[in-house]
Amino acid sequence: MRPPDSNTHGAPAPGDARSATGHSRRLTGSGRRLISVLIGVGFVLPVYWLLVIATGARGDAYAIPPVLLPGLRLGALLYVLSHTHIVHYFLNSVFITGATIALVLTTGVLAGWGLAGYHYRGREVLFLVVVGAMLLPQQALIVTQFNVMFHLHLLDSYAGLILPFAASSASVFLFRQAFLQLPKSFWDVARLEGANVFQYLWRVAVPMARPAVATTILLTFISSWNQFQWPLIMTSSKAVQPIELALSHYMSSFSNNWRDLTAAAVIALAPVLVVFIFTQRYMVRAVIGEDRGVTE
Amino acid sequence: MTSETSPRRHAERLAIDRSVVPPHLARRPGGPFALHRGRGRVTTLVRPVLGYLLVLPSLAVFVIFFYLPAALLFALAFYHWNVFGTTTFRGFGNFAVLFNQPLYWQSLLTTAYFVVVMMPLTTLVALALALLLREGVRQARGGLARSLIFLPHVTPIIATSIIWAWIFNPQFGLANFVFSHLGLPRLGWLEDPAWSMPAVMLYTLWHSVGLYTVLFLAGLLVIPEQVVEAARVDGARGFALFRRVIWPLLSPTTFLVLILVSVNTMQAFSQIFALTGGAVGRGGGPAYSTSTDAVLIYQTAFTYQHFSLAATMSLILFVILLAITIVQKKLSSRWVFYR
Repeated sequence: MRPPDSNTHGAPAPGDARSATGHSRRLTGSGRRLISVLIGVGFVLPVYWLLVIATGARGDAYAIPPVLLPGLRLGALLYVLSHTHIVHYFLNSVFITGATIALVLTTGVLAGWGLAGYHYRGREVLFLVVVGAMLLPQQALIVTQFNVMFHLHLLDSYAGLILPFAASSASVFLFRQAFLQLPKSFWDVARLEGANVFQYLWRVAVPMARPAVATTILLTFISSWNQFQWPLIMTSSKAVQPIELALSHYMSSFSNNWRDLTAAAVIALAPVLVVFIFTQRYMVRAVIGEDRGVTE
Repeated sequence: MTSETSPRRHAERLAIDRSVVPPHLARRPGGPFALHRGRGRVTTLVRPVLGYLLVLPSLAVFVIFFYLPAALLFALAFYHWNVFGTTTFRGFGNFAVLFNQPLYWQSLLTTAYFVVVMMPLTTLVALALALLLREGVRQARGGLARSLIFLPHVTPIIATSIIWAWIFNPQFGLANFVFSHLGLPRLGWLEDPAWSMPAVMLYTLWHSVGLYTVLFLAGLLVIPEQVVEAARVDGARGFALFRRVIWPLLSPTTFLVLILVSVNTMQAFSQIFALTGGAVGRGGGPAYSTSTDAVLIYQTAFTYQHFSLAATMSLILFVILLAITIVQKKLSSRWVFYR
């Protein structure tokens, strides 16, 4: 599969520039572009409105007609930061996400090399087992996953929020693909020079597999930061809960205080927005690569 | 690869091309691979068992937290299990209890309603957006619109459900404001059993359509430009071009999108939980109108503590979803369009 924008650095597609009706087609082209940007803006309007209400005056949420411009008041944000435990939940999310990313990278690199670097009986079966985990429907497993977590005494703990996601099929798959592309001589020479497998992976293979590292970090960041149902079921105490769960608590306790509620949502959303702004192209490619990888 | 072989002979035997060097190591003093100078011993760690060992951490996670629960589904569905740890074999008893619950049948209907609306709706919207964006993306100028449409897909569901709960507010929400300006009736949205499901569908469409749009875009971009150009030369324009050339070549992607939408819709949980009752109502309201299979499984297990019944429902869902996935894999290997 080719990434969607693999074409973008080439010349314009044939048939556009050299078409006989080039002038009129270019006009419809810019009309199209205007329409698509307008639709795109429509898609982010809800996120924009989150900012408008969070930074607006008290009662802006009830205004008819709706307030259109953000008020740039930081009162609600400061109130939520100082009068609720949102900083604590935020740091929980940071810790859980960071630890998950580190573990997913480690297990992914090791398993990727274990499946790419050696020949042994059952390797193909092992690969299918690893990739097949992705095909299991998550929603149908949650009840029995709770049983397993209960018996392993992992309920209501950081470990219970991190360990089940410490390996990802997508990451193993990506690293295996990347390592299969490395010339065999790298490994042979490294071994001759006395490097063990971990030194080889750390100094040679992983630096050569940077795209797989970046994709794994992005995918894990999104899925880990956004996780909600798992902590909802597997945790009960504030000590370990991530920020999405805090938002759902606030939805019931702040019920009609839209300004504080949206301010809390902005805090939960901010890291995702910042990361998205800087990595949008990568992220689009990473997410669709994952989904096509699963199913093809 | 015995340990007696000298490094030099070993290198000769392997016919190692030492001129091929990873670029980031090329300028290291002492040679590109001088990792362990002074030790002089060839590491002969290479035993197949190491391959297994390296896969083991990942494998353990998948087996303990995913394959084991999947196997437990079968066990639990045929037993009665309670929090005190006592289990009794019930055969198909759990299924009998389940099939006598009108609420279960209602949840299946609600899920079917959700899926039957979302499949064509999401696919058509995503396809239309992809066709609109296509030229721009080909020419490196459609990046912004594509990113904006994709953004909702990566937002945390509870955070963005908050603003959608406001949009759907019957008194001062944006949805009714727009509706009344368009001359349409003001609706109760999430508070009205007839409109709560459409509201959930709108949110789900907003949150997920960017993903499918980008999948369609990727599908459109692998259609060879020469084929489209040849059809244009033959006089195909507009809808005919789409209907006769692009649509058939796009069918593998369309199929993939339809399957993904159905599988993801059946598993939707967080937005229903957040939009229809929050932490107090535990989702599914009003009047069970948004109580899909996934929501009912959650409530049966974690509100009413009926683990065996929940496992039985999960097993049925598991079989359905796995069957869809397997059929998709079988068919797509036949359908996928190779050049």
